[in-house]
Amino acid sequence: MISGHALISRLAPLLACLGLLGVWQVAALILSTDSFPTALEALRAIPSILGDKESLINILASIRRMAIGFGVAIMVSIPLGLMMGRSRGVASFFNPLLMVTYPVPKAALMPIIMLWLGVGEVAKILVIFLGVSLPVIYHSFQGAKAVEEKMLWSGAAMGLSAMQRMTRIVLPAALPEILTGCRTGLVLALITMVTSEMIARQSGAGNILFNSLDMGQYDTVYAMIIIIGAMGIGLDAAFEKLRSRLVRWSEPGFDIPLSFA
Amino acid sequence: MNARAVTSDVLLGIAPIALLIAVWQAIASFGYAPATLLPPPGVVLMRLAQQLTNTTFQHEIAATLFRLFAGFSIAVILGVTIGLIAAAIPAINAVVRPIVRVLAPLPKVALYPALLLLLGFGHESKITLVAADALFPILLSTYYGASMVEQKLIWSAMAAGTPRRQILFKVVLPAAVPSILTGCRIGLVISCIVVFLAEMITSTEGLGHLLVTAARTFQAVDMFVPLITISLLGLILNGLLQGLRSYLLRGFPEV
Repeated sequence: MISGHALISRLAPLLACLGLLGVWQVAALILSTDSFPTALEALRAIPSILGDKESLINILASIRRMAIGFGVAIMVSIPLGLMMGRSRGVASFFNPLLMVTYPVPKAALMPIIMLWLGVGEVAKILVIFLGVSLPVIYHSFQGAKAVEEKMLWSGAAMGLSAMQRMTRIVLPAALPEILTGCRTGLVLALITMVTSEMIARQSGAGNILFNSLDMGQYDTVYAMIIIIGAMGIGLDAAFEKLRSRLVRWSEPGFDIPLSFA
Repeated sequence: MNARAVTSDVLLGIAPIALLIAVWQAIASFGYAPATLLPPPGVVLMRLAQQLTNTTFQHEIAATLFRLFAGFSIAVILGVTIGLIAAAIPAINAVVRPIVRVLAPLPKVALYPALLLLLGFGHESKITLVAADALFPILLSTYYGASMVEQKLIWSAMAAGTPRRQILFKVVLPAAVPSILTGCRIGLVISCIVVFLAEMITSTEGLGHLLVTAARTFQAVDMFVPLITISLLGLILNGLLQGLRSYLLRGFPEV
């Protein structure tokens, strides 16, 4: 049986969503301008967007790009981060490069990358890849660095090769930290996707958002904001479920990701 | 770590950056890429140096910096205040926590069109976006820092006769400073990124606007200049914050 307290804490995010929508509704009613529709009007516009074939295809294409970019990024970044964490040479080789590229907005590279690779899928996926990589590398690096030396020595004494020590000791030990990085990366993939589409204005969810802004379809603008926001919250919650299953043994760290653009 | 190891670390760290520039130069000078697509690094650096002394360019930097600092300051003030209050008062925490849980993973940049409609195309919408994006890392690290304060410290202060109200400012806040500064550091990088992106999407001034203008006219050299400038600004601001950190945390162990 679920106790009352657990029930409340499970329902709290839902209540918060309803509360925020309620505040929006009241604010819109008070201001009552064309450019700020009420929450109900925006919610009512959602079925027509998702029902429209073209915009649905656009949104699905965005999600596909995001998934590919995210997948490739974690496959490259986790091994790199782990190696940086275990070898001082590798770490001091890559650290300054990462530090210099850190404050560069990845979506801002979109125009330059488009100049080289055209406006196709590759350019957009590359930008998402770049956006996701840095936090995943950073967290894998921190996780691998914190692995206890004694465990590695024991592994070596038992005859594990360097490769086996990496996959059987360092990887599991660093997993909680890696997954924290992946969670930040996931939110970041969504942000980079939307931003790059806003800048390139070719296709995708970000493009629908700004096209409807240009055409003055304010209901659609706010409905798209709700859709993208729901995607962010949904992805994050799903990943958190997965994370708590994978690393049930570890202490929960930050339970809210420190997401950024 | 001895001085020799540090030198070799530095050399090793410069290597990939030097390599990158060398490859860039090689691609440009062997003609694999036309200069209209990839201008050689020397040309870009010359242009950067020339632009930095140009008053119009300085105005653009000033516009970007103003928005960055305004947004970041709002985020710091709100983040630290809300974080501290939520950590100190359980009833407020119960309200703030679920709201933050919902809003933190929300891609804030998607709110930008709404901000444009509500606040106009000027400074306000960009500052609000920067503040919204930088707020959550600062709020969360303040909250975690303040709730990790050792109970013993609070008991000692109470035993020494500190009034309950002052404990927040005399014990909890100073103990949470390292964590708050970490959050500020993340928030600062985010502010750099977000202000640039917001200016790219719609703006009439600022570094992001310069990049978009250059992209529309296919001026590859002028596209690199604002990107390098924002990267340098990020590094400088990060360095300043690092300086502030070591000043504020003098006497703290292992910082």
